[in-house]
Amino acid sequence: MSPHRLAATAAGVALLLHAAAPFAQERGTEGLPKEAVLEVEEEHTTAVLGPASPHWVYVLDPVFPHLIASKVYVVDGDSVRIIGMINTGYVPNIALSPDGSRIYVAETYYSRGTRGERTDVVTYFDGSTLEATGETVLPRGRFLVVPKKPDAALTFGGRYLLSFNMDPATTVSVVDVVEQKYVTDIEVPGCSLVFPTGERSFSMLCPDGSFVDVAFEPDGTATIRDQEPFFDSEDDPVFEHGVVSEKDGRAFFVSYEGMVYEAKIEDGRMRVAASWSLLSDADRAESWRPGGWQLMAYHAPSDRLFVLMHRGGRWTHKHAGEEVWVFDANTHERLQRIPLEHHSITISVSQDENPLLFALSEEASLTVIDLGSGEVKGVLEGLGDSPFLTYVVGE
Amino acid sequence: MKRQGRFDRLVENAARRIAQKTSRRSLLARLGTLLAGLALVPVLPVDRRGAISRARAEEFAKMAQTTDPTQCNYWRYCAIDGYMCSCCGGGPSTCPPGTHPSPSSWVGTCINPDDGQAYLIAYRDCCGKDSCGQCACLSLEGEMPVYRPQLNNDIVWCFGAPNMVYHCSSAAIVGRA
Repeated sequence: MSPHRLAATAAGVALLLHAAAPFAQERGTEGLPKEAVLEVEEEHTTAVLGPASPHWVYVLDPVFPHLIASKVYVVDGDSVRIIGMINTGYVPNIALSPDGSRIYVAETYYSRGTRGERTDVVTYFDGSTLEATGETVLPRGRFLVVPKKPDAALTFGGRYLLSFNMDPATTVSVVDVVEQKYVTDIEVPGCSLVFPTGERSFSMLCPDGSFVDVAFEPDGTATIRDQEPFFDSEDDPVFEHGVVSEKDGRAFFVSYEGMVYEAKIEDGRMRVAASWSLLSDADRAESWRPGGWQLMAYHAPSDRLFVLMHRGGRWTHKHAGEEVWVFDANTHERLQRIPLEHHSITISVSQDENPLLFALSEEASLTVIDLGSGEVKGVLEGLGDSPFLTYVVGE
Repeated sequence: MKRQGRFDRLVENAARRIAQKTSRRSLLARLGTLLAGLALVPVLPVDRRGAISRARAEEFAKMAQTTDPTQCNYWRYCAIDGYMCSCCGGGPSTCPPGTHPSPSSWVGTCINPDDGQAYLIAYRDCCGKDSCGQCACLSLEGEMPVYRPQLNNDIVWCFGAPNMVYHCSSAAIVGRA
């Protein structure tokens, strides 16, 4: 700062003191409530979050109007307030360590913003300070798409991050997040996305409506096993956003027309065990169907499945949900219909005994509902530009 | 027969779509599946998919127009997703200055309401600058999950372009369906 500027600033400070002085003389601070008396000089600190709460939700905003500069907000569902944010790159994906102490971000950068050399990287963030602590480069790149959760996932136990890649050949990059080391890319021709099925195994969805099961060794050698189709990928495809429960060893996928396919995870393989419909004849007559983006959530402690539903014809599969339908995943009985004032494209459910439902709308609002009381705890409006995905600890 | 004719067209569309994305050998395999599926159709009580699909295609074409490519109801946009290049200094088959069309694309089928014909539309992205941010449209006619990539509109279709930053979406005619 130049001496001239410094003098001007000093004058400003002096003015401020001068202006405040008569007020202080006149009123003093005696008799005022304690909280009304400000510290004359306070220390400026930076907040840390501490251990992750099951009631926090991590909201990924790809920021459609400025795709190269995306964000992840951390929101406390109890207070319905933002408690932190991290900056992320071009169409990123994230994964939370099982205890939420680390956030892994798979992201893409160009060295001059929209130009220059491309780098694909997994960045490690401390879940408490929200500061980047390291990175691992993905040499084969990653899948560039409007972010979907199964673009990247942690294996059971959280040792390996799997990052799907389409360039347009399809591979899965494996990163050891403990050693912070790139392991390999596993080529799985034609199949997409990653659904973990074990500590070193995952499944993918293939164009013919089948799973392919992949297992790998710590050195990166892989075994790939095909399966038979379990759904009609021409007439009634399943949505990409299936849910996998590590805790219960089961996974659920739902189709455009409302069929649920339940898989049991056995020896690192997806075994489709049952299929049933979300819809009764009466529901179909009213044109109810599943839809949205991250349209399904599973609450492992109560075996409940949550699905966003709207009324519409075929090819409305990304339309926002008017209601969340709640099903008993064992009896397939519909337990509840939760109407949404803000129609939503994405839902998550916290994995504790007193679960919260988080619902994102296309108007960038987050609604938090206490599933115990059914009460709306709050609505956070203006949460970024285009929030699309939500993550909770212990999914 | 009118119904048969339309159904044939639907099948032909499907075959062309498959042809765009598969090798000859797997195309033959898929056609085999398709034909086997077709043989079953007459015994089914309701041709559910066919009926709904035709209804939706005609529905989009009914409200579609052929003069203003800055509007979401422009006929070629029946399955587009993103910012329309026509609002960003380009057109339905022209990239805005300084951006590059992807040599790859996914392919949809839209009906031109003026002549009632179905056309194959290549949904290519223009790549190399940050999002244009104008005229966001989302249509879903025939749109499929990413495990069927050539029918998905969420993918950044910039494969083979000098740079894969998404700027805007275009919709070039590549044939008659």
